[in-house]
Amino acid sequence: MREVPELVELVVVALGRLGALGETIEEEWTYVQDLQTVWTARLRAVATADRPAGTHPPMVELEAAIDRLVAEVDLISDPHRAIDWLSTLPQVTLVALGEAAW
Amino acid sequence: MRFQDAAKDARAVVYAGIQADPLVARAAVLLADATPAQRVLARAVMNGETTDAEAWRTIFPSLFGSTVDRAQPDPSEAILEVSLAVAGRGEQVRSQVRGAIVEAVAELLLARRAPAAMIRRERRILFDGVPTEIHPYDVTVEVPGAAEAYDCKWGARGISADVLHQLDDARTHAAGEGERLLPVLVVFDARRSCEVRLARQTAPRTGTRLLTIETLDRLAGPRSKTPS
Repeated sequence: MREVPELVELVVVALGRLGALGETIEEEWTYVQDLQTVWTARLRAVATADRPAGTHPPMVELEAAIDRLVAEVDLISDPHRAIDWLSTLPQVTLVALGEAAW
Repeated sequence: MRFQDAAKDARAVVYAGIQADPLVARAAVLLADATPAQRVLARAVMNGETTDAEAWRTIFPSLFGSTVDRAQPDPSEAILEVSLAVAGRGEQVRSQVRGAIVEAVAELLLARRAPAAMIRRERRILFDGVPTEIHPYDVTVEVPGAAEAYDCKWGARGISADVLHQLDDARTHAAGEGERLLPVLVVFDARRSCEVRLARQTAPRTGTRLLTIETLDRLAGPRSKTPS
């Protein structure tokens, strides 16, 4: 069974794929980079934080959630939607982890 | 300072049809009472690719998982259902529907602290000697001496210099006439993303209030529930 940091790292990698797609909208390049930077930092901070027992769903459900979430992200081919998901993906991840989504 | 209905041009007529869609009203009622996590669910599903409800239940174990004590009827299920209905619209239509939903949620929450008759949609604000803005405000609270003007956005990317200038100009022009007008930007997205968007904007924003997906309930006033 995987642990939370490993699952969060899957999301961070998916965030990178969204960024690569989103930055094809040239005028949003900086925004895309900035979004990736701040949300990656937030996700990694959550991943390594001490977590009291019971603060997130059972690991088997969390693993399924993150795997399905990353699969959803990989369906996105439109760069505009990718930019929107650069914000949505971290929020959904944080909700799955039982964290505040921001 | 005077308020006036926006001109009924072609765009306004089409958009009025979107605003009147029963799906918009149903989504707004559910989201006005939703938890922050349920609002994130709506945001994800309405802009998602998958239209398989079970996939979304899997993605949100904190709303649909085995350890969740689910009410009957379950508001998370209702929000999932209505969000999938929005996602099922064509790309352009669902974009308009999402925007209309954010406006309708704002209107509903505002109605919890302000008289309904003073809350208006699609209004222009006129000032003596100032050319009228092209775009109407999504929602206004037209209380004499304490007016409010709202611009509602689905996502942080909707924040632009034009939007910030229009809101700040309205505040400044109102002050020039000795009136008080509070401009508010409502964004159905995380504050963190909005701050990223705002960080590189040079347009004035200090006089404009920002309410985001985690602080929407503040529209209803200080006695409203606070997000967890």
